[in-house]
Amino acid sequence: MATIIGGIGTSHVPTIGVVYDKKRGEEPAWKPLFEGYRPVAQWLKEQKPDVLIVFYNDHANSFFFDFYPTFALGISPTFELADEGAGKRPLPPFRGHPALAVHLAEQLVNDEFDLTIFQDQPLDHGFHSPLPLMLPHEPDWPVAVVPIQINVLQYPLPTAARCYKLGQAVRRAVACFPEDLKIAVLGTGGLSHQIHGERTGFNNEPWDHEFLELLQHSPTELTKLKHIDYVERGGAEGAEVIMWLAMRGCLPDSITRLHKNYYLATTTAMTVALYEPSKAV
Amino acid sequence: MNPQLTGIERITGTYPFDLRASAKTLRLNRFFWNFRLVEKRELFHRSEAEAMQQAGLTAEEAALVSARDWLGLIQYGVNFFVLEKFARVVKMSNLEVYAKMRGESFEDFLKTRRVPDAR
Repeated sequence: MATIIGGIGTSHVPTIGVVYDKKRGEEPAWKPLFEGYRPVAQWLKEQKPDVLIVFYNDHANSFFFDFYPTFALGISPTFELADEGAGKRPLPPFRGHPALAVHLAEQLVNDEFDLTIFQDQPLDHGFHSPLPLMLPHEPDWPVAVVPIQINVLQYPLPTAARCYKLGQAVRRAVACFPEDLKIAVLGTGGLSHQIHGERTGFNNEPWDHEFLELLQHSPTELTKLKHIDYVERGGAEGAEVIMWLAMRGCLPDSITRLHKNYYLATTTAMTVALYEPSKAV
Repeated sequence: MNPQLTGIERITGTYPFDLRASAKTLRLNRFFWNFRLVEKRELFHRSEAEAMQQAGLTAEEAALVSARDWLGLIQYGVNFFVLEKFARVVKMSNLEVYAKMRGESFEDFLKTRRVPDAR
């Protein structure tokens, strides 16, 4: 039986990828961020998950507004990296897990999550910008991936509650996958930032920390908030933290936070957090 | 109105990209979206006017593009994540675009940031 062994929340700021690719992670401005991923990399090295299920959003690279899915699941055996206008990143393609992905699709639709399914679509920085800080990748990534894309670009977005329920449905679906697989779940994006309009540059550090507390201990409180609440507290683009709620929904009620790194440098409160199901006492 | 966004007008300087904006700006957004393709970037560099004409932009839209009016384009309803592809074409960083949208010089904007070297 497949098991979810832990969850990771991480920002997906594209500059993280650019700085990594240019080998600038030792610079004083970036070291606090890069160091912050080391405990997560160590955990992944020790736990050796077989698959990462990643809740992320596309930034109008694979999907455009002529046909924009609310929830979309990738079932391909291989996922290329998207050329977002500056050429592809120098990273190997990702290996999918078609058997698990198809199982998830069948279970989730049966569970009333009517997903869009995609194949042969590349993945953009919303999926991969921080991944090389967590995982070795030469010559290949050590883990398969199942991408689940969430619309956080074009309103109406799925609600925070819906994202949490999606995670819970993924948890149920994983639990009935017959193969013994160790699975880690990721939710990308956030924390507070706004990058459009005159309110660009907005951050809210107290809210970011409150969000992290609620996410761990009282996620249902977060599901009661509307998008306007997320926009007001965390900035317009910060509302994408609803993808962390999908990750949280995959985990049991009681979780332990093994690690957190919070680094607000320019416009986004870049954060990574690692969670495990709490050990029975 | 989207029940999740009731009262959004009170958050000034914020322009939620919704279906009304998306329907209005589909051609303009596609114009920017296409800059992920090298041939569209080359066409724009060869002739901005021809690139905009081929994309079917209105006179108002073309004027916003020609003026590099970043805030005006957002207010018109363009989605930021296609607009940033246009920024790459005209050799502007996102931080430079952010300063423009705030109506600040780049230097003044960086002074408001905790670690301005993180770019």
